Amino acid sequence: MAPGRAVPDALSQSRRLIAQAKVMKFSTEMKKEMGILCLVTGLLMLIPLFNAVGPESGPLSVSAFQVSLWGKYLTYAVLAMSLNLLWGYTGLLCLCQSLFFALGGYAMGMYLMLMIGERGAYKSVLPDFMVFLGYQKLPLHWEPFYNFAFTVAAVLWVPGLLAFVFGFLAFRSRIKGVYFSILTQALTYAACLMFFRNDFTFGGNNGFTDFKDILGCNINSDATIRGLFIATTALMVCTYLITSGLLASKLGKVQQAIRDSENRVLFSGYSTTSFKLMIFVLSAMIAGAAGALYVPQVGGINPSAMEAAKSLEVVVWVAVGGRGTKWGPVIGAILVNFIKSYTTHAFPDYWLIIMGGMFVCVVLFMPDGIVGVFKQAKSYFARQRSLETTAA
Amino acid sequence: MSTYHTPLYRDTPLILSVSGVTKAFDGFKAIDDLNFYLEEGELRTIIGPNGAGKSTFMDIITGRTRPDVGSVTMHEKDGRDYNLAKLREFEINRRGIGRKFQTPSIYKSHTVYDNLILSLNKKRGVFATLFYRESREDRERIMEVLKTVRLDTRANDLAGMLSHGQKQWLEIGMLLAQDPRLLLIDEPAAGMSDEETERTGELLMSLENKHSLIVIEHDMEFIRQIARKVTVLHQGHVLKEGSFESVKADPEVIQVYLGRQGKRAENN
Amino acid sequence: MIAHFFFLGCNGKSTVKHWISLLIVAAILTSSASARDARTVMAELIQSERAEQAGLIEELSTYGDTIIADIYEAWRTGGIYLLEQDTGSQLLQFTDAQEWALVHNGAVINLSEAEAAAAKKQRPARALRKQMKRIIDTLGLKADNTALRIDSAIKLGRSQKAEFIPALEGRLKIETDKQVLSALQEALAISRLANGEDAQVVEAVQTLKALNSVAARAFLEELMQAEGDNERADSSLSYACAEALISIERHMKQQEFFGSFFRGFSTGSVLLIVSFGLAITFGLMGVINMAHGEFVAIGGYVTFLVQNFFIQTWGLSSSAFGWYFIVALPVSFIVAAVIGLIMEVSIIRFLYRRPLESLLCTWGISMVMQQGFRLIFGAANVQVNNPTWLMGNLSFAGFQMSYTRLLIILIALVVVALTWLLLRQTNLGLHIRAVMQNRHMASSLGVPVARVNRMTFALGCGLAALGGAVLSQIGNVGPSMGQAYIVDSFMVVVTGSVGNLLGAGLSAMGIGLVDQLLQPSLGPVMGKITVFVVIILFLQWRPGGLFPTLSRSLDD
Repeated sequence: MAPGRAVPDALSQSRRLIAQAKVMKFSTEMKKEMGILCLVTGLLMLIPLFNAVGPESGPLSVSAFQVSLWGKYLTYAVLAMSLNLLWGYTGLLCLCQSLFFALGGYAMGMYLMLMIGERGAYKSVLPDFMVFLGYQKLPLHWEPFYNFAFTVAAVLWVPGLLAFVFGFLAFRSRIKGVYFSILTQALTYAACLMFFRNDFTFGGNNGFTDFKDILGCNINSDATIRGLFIATTALMVCTYLITSGLLASKLGKVQQAIRDSENRVLFSGYSTTSFKLMIFVLSAMIAGAAGALYVPQVGGINPSAMEAAKSLEVVVWVAVGGRGTKWGPVIGAILVNFIKSYTTHAFPDYWLIIMGGMFVCVVLFMPDGIVGVFKQAKSYFARQRSLETTAA
Repeated sequence: MSTYHTPLYRDTPLILSVSGVTKAFDGFKAIDDLNFYLEEGELRTIIGPNGAGKSTFMDIITGRTRPDVGSVTMHEKDGRDYNLAKLREFEINRRGIGRKFQTPSIYKSHTVYDNLILSLNKKRGVFATLFYRESREDRERIMEVLKTVRLDTRANDLAGMLSHGQKQWLEIGMLLAQDPRLLLIDEPAAGMSDEETERTGELLMSLENKHSLIVIEHDMEFIRQIARKVTVLHQGHVLKEGSFESVKADPEVIQVYLGRQGKRAENN
Repeated sequence: MIAHFFFLGCNGKSTVKHWISLLIVAAILTSSASARDARTVMAELIQSERAEQAGLIEELSTYGDTIIADIYEAWRTGGIYLLEQDTGSQLLQFTDAQEWALVHNGAVINLSEAEAAAAKKQRPARALRKQMKRIIDTLGLKADNTALRIDSAIKLGRSQKAEFIPALEGRLKIETDKQVLSALQEALAISRLANGEDAQVVEAVQTLKALNSVAARAFLEELMQAEGDNERADSSLSYACAEALISIERHMKQQEFFGSFFRGFSTGSVLLIVSFGLAITFGLMGVINMAHGEFVAIGGYVTFLVQNFFIQTWGLSSSAFGWYFIVALPVSFIVAAVIGLIMEVSIIRFLYRRPLESLLCTWGISMVMQQGFRLIFGAANVQVNNPTWLMGNLSFAGFQMSYTRLLIILIALVVVALTWLLLRQTNLGLHIRAVMQNRHMASSLGVPVARVNRMTFALGCGLAALGGAVLSQIGNVGPSMGQAYIVDSFMVVVTGSVGNLLGAGLSAMGIGLVDQLLQPSLGPVMGKITVFVVIILFLQWRPGGLFPTLSRSLDD
């Protein structure tokens, strides 16, 4: 901050120069950001590349399992980014992000179940669980999911519609802050109960599994796994671009203003309800898309994916990485899941305790997460250096 | 009492009519059969003891609270009337009523400049803001406002870093950037130094005639500085209306202020 | 508080004692009228000549001792022997345990092999068998236990056999217990449906209608069907049946409704206890305690531990065991309050007025605690038994109310009263309310804010545990028991306006009632979902909940 302060002070004499400085500052930052984005994308692309052409063994070999594992992490990263859009930038702590994720996943899962065709255990066109539960024919709302384009649309509009209806009711009656969190948690809880029921036509507590094909390709082949990974990376890049596009626009400013002082925004003539609703729906759609890519890479989905605790887990990722920062959620999601994979394997009984403890520590000691710690360290060193130069 | 309530027909047209408004909270009448008329370009000061209903009155005009009975009408220049009691907060604001709150409310993690961008009187729909591009006129308008509230040197600082008085001014600046027809200003001098208070008074007086203003204030010095016509609220309705001097000398007003103090002294 | 619960406990206990003594008096009055032992009469009967048998049978029919059935069964199947010796004859039963027992007093004796060989098998005469069977079938009518008498009467009635009518009538004359009386009337009426003149049948139908007999429904329907088949669908009997059926069905509906209502009330009471704690911590400190559910679980586990301690010290069947629940209430309150205190001092106090952060942090704590329970007590539910005095129902105007649920409602009332007293009548309460309204002002006026916070948080946690202790009597105790209630409790707090105890109380009852009233028709899942939707719609109408707080500042 210190060296930057001099610039606006000097420029304040001339209005035009201020404007120019803003534009220049903006574009250099933009360039830096885009550079980082390209670098990250490039690094991620190495994973499928090494899987395709890399050696069979050794430190550079990447197995298909690892590709889909990293693909899973990336879907989590996108999910965290979608929550960050709401919580980090708009101040809405939403506890139904896992529900949107799972809804997207279920929509994709329906398509994948239908693509199994007659290769299931019961050799029926109906998915196995329907045969098992005694269905005579496919329920009507399953029919359109034979169509991939419809599925992709449903992945977006189903969570989007739910977010729209719920958000409309909630924001209209000025439910905000903790109340919003509590109600979204209750929504997740209610939906989870529904999906656990067998007669809800979504496979009850077993959910969907045993997928075979996606778009005619074997879902377990290396090429498909690589393709899904690349699609996930693309989704992440898209989400990143959407987020930074929003933040750069006036809408992004309104969003952050809502976080700081919602009533001031309201008394400045903005319908905060519409703004929050728009962000909520957008975030739900992104979460749904992430869920849709999660399901084929993990090979199944069941209602436990939408438990309330799962939503809170997403909040942990964002908090650990750093809320309200662009890369924080990605870092948090990957890091926490990495630790989770390790601890659930090494000390299965203690994973929840570690995660809970991590959470308490982050809230108490690192309110801005890992990215915040980095920033603090950076400004600390900058200050040290400037002190040294003045001393010299 | 009704003599104070009839609208006074003058050359200037009315901008706001509040008639017969009552608002009760849990049986307590915060506003009781209130009648209030404001002319175009007028600067009106509202005083009254604590609990007289001043803030509730502003809440009712800005749509934060709905009246139980009565009407709140805004008169457009073209002769159309709007019932404010039916509109939502942001719709009322878009009709040209801006409000400054008692405690400064600004966007503390935005720069001073961005605080004003958000307040400009532009289209404020979701997609309009998404595709908004800052024009030269906008920039010039913002710099003008910054000059007016003497924050032009702080344009790129975060608003949260400003001093309390500067925050108050920034909020007034945000109101100015909206270019509203009617400004509601709640205790602008609270927490300001004497010098700042005086400058605030000058600023408000310079706005007179270009905008209509309603100012709520406790500081008698400040009121003496700015006051043209003063309305005294008491127990939710208008007790007196007139020039600062006439109101100050009115025995009923003195009774209301002193009576409360007398009571308080007894309690202690 | 503790003292009060003990007082409450004594009260509950003495009511039960009162009941038990009443039962004993009733039993003495009804079944032990004759002086001679049932065994003696049986022994005489077996040895008697045919001429004497009629009198003995008559005498036997006044006994309700199940030993009669045992001895008769042995007699019929060849397990009764007569050993005639010089010193006199002995009537012996060869028991299932392969031992010889004297019939007239049940004492086990040793027989030499010669004696065993000399003993002669006894068999009842054919004529006697029928009479004995009737006595044994109606034995239950004379049992000491009222519940057994009721069961027996209903069973006899359902058989619709004419031969039991005299026994039922006989019993009706001497029975004193009201419930048994109505069961006898019901049984008689059902029997007469199949065994009477037309007029008698109609009368029986009307009796059943008056008694709102659920058991009679099938018989009445059958009867109506038969009348219809005999082309007498318009007979007075048909009409009477139809009327009776309608009346009975209405009564059943009423009973079902009342049952749901009552269950809703008690569920609401649990919710109330749990959400009171939540409302206090949230309203006072702006802290959302997501670990509140785990404090509920602490209450459950403490009850479990106290129960185990009682079992170890005094044994499961001792009378002391019944007291464990009364002891568990204050203990769970104190344990949770202490844990809450520790949590407040170490973590929560950094989070005041930062509701979102407190939500996240306490959720982390909740995960740690949940896993802690799993590690200590295992992932499965633990077994908490009801004390015997809490088993059974109180029946009131034909409706059944379980003692457990009644006690829960009572405890909730006590909690409400005590919380009210605490907030309104004590110094701490004054401080709590002061801090609730204006934290800074209170602190500058010398209210020890930090201490008030600690006490309040501890109080909130204690109340949660009290809820858990109560819950252990009607639900499962397991690591995630709190989770099921926490979402509902949050709903209660939101609906009833934050920090408003009256609101919390009303909405707890409301949500409990709606939930239970919807469950019979919609099932538990859809019921919950409907409640949730209703709450969302309610908030459209009253965004601030039932009793919204008014605020002057802009951002609250």
